[in-house]
Amino acid sequence: MRCGSGIEARQVDELFINIDPIQAGGRLTSDAMKAIIAYGDGYSVCDNCRKPNRLDYISKPPIAEFHKDVAAWLNMDEARMMPGARRGFQAVAHTYVHKGDPVLLTALSHYTEFLAVEESGGIPREIPADEHNIITADSTATKIEEVKREFKRPPVLAFIDPVDYQYGNMHDVAAIAKVAHQYDIPILYNGAYTVGILPVDGKNMDVDFVVGSGHKSMAAPAPSGVLATTAERAREVFRTTAIEGDVTKRRFGIKEPEMMGCTLMGATLVGMMASFPHVKERVKHFDRELANGKIVIDALLSIDGTKILSEYPRKHTLTRMDTTGSFDRVAETHKKRGFYFSSALNEKGISGIIPGATKIWKFNTYGTTKKQAEYLAEAFVATASENGLHVNKQPFL
Amino acid sequence: MSKRAVDMVFQATYTLTDLRMILRETAPTHELAADKKAQVERLLDNLERQVGSLKQEMLK
Repeated sequence: MRCGSGIEARQVDELFINIDPIQAGGRLTSDAMKAIIAYGDGYSVCDNCRKPNRLDYISKPPIAEFHKDVAAWLNMDEARMMPGARRGFQAVAHTYVHKGDPVLLTALSHYTEFLAVEESGGIPREIPADEHNIITADSTATKIEEVKREFKRPPVLAFIDPVDYQYGNMHDVAAIAKVAHQYDIPILYNGAYTVGILPVDGKNMDVDFVVGSGHKSMAAPAPSGVLATTAERAREVFRTTAIEGDVTKRRFGIKEPEMMGCTLMGATLVGMMASFPHVKERVKHFDRELANGKIVIDALLSIDGTKILSEYPRKHTLTRMDTTGSFDRVAETHKKRGFYFSSALNEKGISGIIPGATKIWKFNTYGTTKKQAEYLAEAFVATASENGLHVNKQPFL
Repeated sequence: MSKRAVDMVFQATYTLTDLRMILRETAPTHELAADKKAQVERLLDNLERQVGSLKQEMLK
């Protein structure tokens, strides 16, 4: 079935249980899908845009109220919706980082944080992860001292991911922020895997910026995200334009240069807004998500030779596995080589594992029902058994 | 064409969206428990009513 010339209608989430690690938290709610149907046209949210002509002032649909609600929900003072978390990193880096400035990242930082630093001319310095792939406050303090010795000044900004994209491990941002603030380093909390997934309280962690991803974790269309901050930092990162044309003498009101004026102007924003009540509710029930994830992980660990590379017990549903000693052994002699694994899962109605991956791979069970989690568990075990791998007794089945 | 016809197009699309969500929640087997089956029946009844109204409005 096609939805346009040469464009197949995507039915992945209708036909499969999709455990793609980056897609799980961004699946739309029913209300978001309905909002997209109504607001798909380009400038659809601008029908009632009145002076001062800025997106976050529009009251119909209730965009102004939504901005306030999101800021309050994250326990920050102000928020702007962004075309993706990365644009939030970019706005903050562009405000605080100048050529040659050292910037603190971590050994588990997302590449877009590096790109934001690069674009501003900054020099990245990574806090190393410990032997358990955790970023600690102690290693942060050590790294800041190293940077001070190298640059004769502390870093101008720190990007910290409370849950990293590689292992889905949880890092103590509050403790890291406490250390960084002793050196007056502003902290950007990269909540791409937390905002919209579990409760986030910016002021309680004493961070300067909270960035979230709509399409990764807030059940919203891409590209969407949020940048929230304190009243003090808002004056800097959300500063208004001061430029004037020399011929026309035009000025541009209260547009914000870091936002490039208005940000999300149609289906992306209204999709976020429509999902928001559901997202606010679902973060209160993250324990259910962990319980469903545990069903699948227990099943995987019952297969001889299978290891978990993420911290265990799990604190997040994004998990990194090592099946070098199990599924990869089968790949050595299987006629489909490594592709047999994703192929077998596909035949069982499961998608989201990178085709060909049998050594190290990631998955995310976020948003599955308990029944689907049990189905996933059985499918992994069945795939192992069908290929001659030994499976230990599993209490969950 | 009436506002009612436009409303019915949206309502029917929304009903189909709710059905789509059920397909997602029950993938890949789409086996429906009793409560889901009852929900699907209600949605399909609504859809029939909405399409009926749409026919009345658009073909009159």
